[in-house]
Amino acid sequence: MKGELICAVCPVGCHVTAEWNETDLLDVQQAACKLAWPYIRSEIFDPRRVVTSSVPVVGGEIPLVSVKTDSPVPKDRMRDVMQSLAQVTVQAPVNVGDVVVSNILGLGANIRATKRIKKVS
Amino acid sequence: MHTTEVDVAVIGGGPAGLAAVTSAKNAGAERVLLIERDERLGGILNQCIHDGFGTKVLGESITGPEYAQIYIDKLQEAKADFCLNTMVLDLTPEKVLTVCSAEGMRRIKAGAVVLAMGCRERTRGALGIPGPRPAGVYTAGVVQNYMNLRNIMVGRQVVILGSGDIGLIMARRLTLEGAKVECVAEILPYPSGLARNVVQCLEDFGIPLYLSTTVTRIHGTGRVKGVTLAQVGPKWGVKSGSQRFVECDTLMLSVGLIPENELSKKAGVALSPVTGGAIVDDWFQTSVPGIFSCGNVLHVHDVVDYVTLEAEAAGRSAARYAAAGSLPSSPIKVKPGQGVRYVLPYQISGEDAVEFSLRALAPEKDRHVVFRSNGQVIRKMRELMVAPAQMIRVKLRADRFPKEGEITVEVTE
Ligand SMILES: Cc1cc2nc3c(=O)[nH]c(=O)nc-3n(C[C@H](O)[C@H](O)[C@H](O)COP(=O)(O)OP(=O)(O)OC[C@H]3O[C@@H](n4cnc5c(N)ncnc54)[C@H](O)[C@@H]3O)c2cc1C
Repeated sequence: MKGELICAVCPVGCHVTAEWNETDLLDVQQAACKLAWPYIRSEIFDPRRVVTSSVPVVGGEIPLVSVKTDSPVPKDRMRDVMQSLAQVTVQAPVNVGDVVVSNILGLGANIRATKRIKKVS
Repeated sequence: MHTTEVDVAVIGGGPAGLAAVTSAKNAGAERVLLIERDERLGGILNQCIHDGFGTKVLGESITGPEYAQIYIDKLQEAKADFCLNTMVLDLTPEKVLTVCSAEGMRRIKAGAVVLAMGCRERTRGALGIPGPRPAGVYTAGVVQNYMNLRNIMVGRQVVILGSGDIGLIMARRLTLEGAKVECVAEILPYPSGLARNVVQCLEDFGIPLYLSTTVTRIHGTGRVKGVTLAQVGPKWGVKSGSQRFVECDTLMLSVGLIPENELSKKAGVALSPVTGGAIVDDWFQTSVPGIFSCGNVLHVHDVVDYVTLEAEAAGRSAARYAAAGSLPSSPIKVKPGQGVRYVLPYQISGEDAVEFSLRALAPEKDRHVVFRSNGQVIRKMRELMVAPAQMIRVKLRADRFPKEGEITVEVTE
C-alpha cells in the first residue's frame, strides 16, 4: 500500500510518501530526518497519542493541575482516558512529575502532573 | 516617587523574559530584574497544557507548564530577581520604567531594557463580523484560559473561525471535554496552523476544515444560536449562493496574534508594519539604544524553543550594553526579496554568525532559500516544504557577510 502522510514528530511536519504491506513499513520518501520512520510505522500499524488534560486540585493556589500520559496511548483509547480522568482529584501540593494515576486503564502509561501547585491554607 | 536602579530590566515573565533575565545575569549583569504583571511566571505557557514544546532545545516533546518550570528553575539557580503582580505602565527612551503593584507606584532606572511582553489575540472587533452582540463569542486563548486554568466550560456546540494553532489545539481540547466542534472555517485557501496540529487536532477527531470560508454573520440574542458561513473567492469577496446556516452556541475565534507593543511605542521604538514588532539588529537591539526585544513581542513564534534561543541572545546583548554603554553598529541591511514576508534581523553588524528567522509568503513545495549580498549568492539551501505557518531559521557564518551594503533573502524555485 502507498499513501501520503504528515510526520508530526516536530513542527516541521514533513509531508511524506510511505509504502507498506500487511506487516511492515517498506519505504518513507520526502522526510527531512530519520525520526519520521518510527513515527510513520506507528501511525500505520498502531497510532498513539499523548493525552493531556487537567484535573481539580484541593487546597491549591489554583483550581486545576495540568496532567499528561507519560507515554503515548492508543489513539482510539483517548476518550476512555479522558472519561476515567473525570473522576480524579488531587491534593495540593503537587510537583511536576508526580504520579496522579498509575497505569491508567492498564494501558501501560501513568498520568503525571505537569505543573507545580503550592498548597494554600 | 521612589526610584531604584538596575543594570538590566526585563518586562514580561513568559519564556522570553525568563530566558533573557537568566542569560543577562549569567553574562555578568549584577542587578537584574524581571517584572511580570501576572501572579505566576511562565506567561502563556501556563495555559498551553498540550505537549509539543522543547523538541529543538531539549530534544524531547513536553508540555507548556513543564517547559516553563525548567526555565523558572534556571532563573532561580542563576539567582536572578523577579517581581510578580507588577505591571509596567510606562517606559521612556532614557530607560526609566514606571511600575505599579499593590505597594503602589515606583520608578526603575535601567542600564538596559529587554522587551518580552508577548502577544494578545485579535478579536471580533478587529474583524468586524456583522450581527447582534450575543454572549458566546470567545477568542481561542480565552477559552484555553477558562478551561485549563479555571475549570470553566464555554459551550457545547462550537464553530471555530480561523485555523491558527491555538484554535486547532482548542478544537481537540473541547472535543475531548465533550463538546461538539462543528467545523473550522478558514478564509485562506490553506490552513494557517502547523500541519501536525491539523492532523492531531482535526483529522484525529473527524472535525471538518473548510478552506476559503468565513463567517459572514453571527445569529442570536442573549446567546449565540448559530453563524452564517460563506465561501470566499480569490479577491475575498463572498461567493453568492454559498451562504449556509450552522447551528452552534459558541463561536471561537483563532484569527491571529498582535504583538503587545504599547510600551515600546511610548519609548519611541520603531515598529515594522509587517510583523507589528520592533525593528532590531543582530544584537536584538531596537531603534532606541539599550532597549532590546525578543519573543512574541518581536514577531509571532509558533515554536517556543526559538523564543528561548532568541531571548538568551537578547539577554546577553543587554548585559553587554549595560556594562559598556554601547554595542558595535550594524551597517549591513537585510531585506526580504521575492517570496519572503519578512526576515529578521533587519540589519546586522557582521561581527558574528547570525541566525536569521524568515517566513515565506505562501505554502509551496520544493523551494530554495537564497541569501544574496550585493548580487552574489552567499548561501543557498533547499526546503522540501515552505509555509507561512512555519518559521524558517538559517544560520550564516560571519565570513559570509559583506563589510557593508545589503543582503537580500528570497524563497524561489
Ligand atoms: C495556544 C498556544 C499554543 C502554542 N503551542 C506551541 C507548541 O505546541 N509548541 C511550541 O513550541 N510553541 C507553542 N506556542 C508558542 C509559544 O508558546 C509562544 O511563542 C511563547 O510562549 C511566547 O513567549 P513570550 O515570552 O514571548 O510571550 P508570553 O508567554 O505571552 O509572555 C509574555 C508575558 O509578559 C507579561 N506582560 C506583558 N505586558 C506586561 C507589562 N506591561 N508589565 C508586566 N508584564 C507584562 C504577560 O503577563 C506575560 O506573562 C503556542 C502558543 C500559544 C499561544
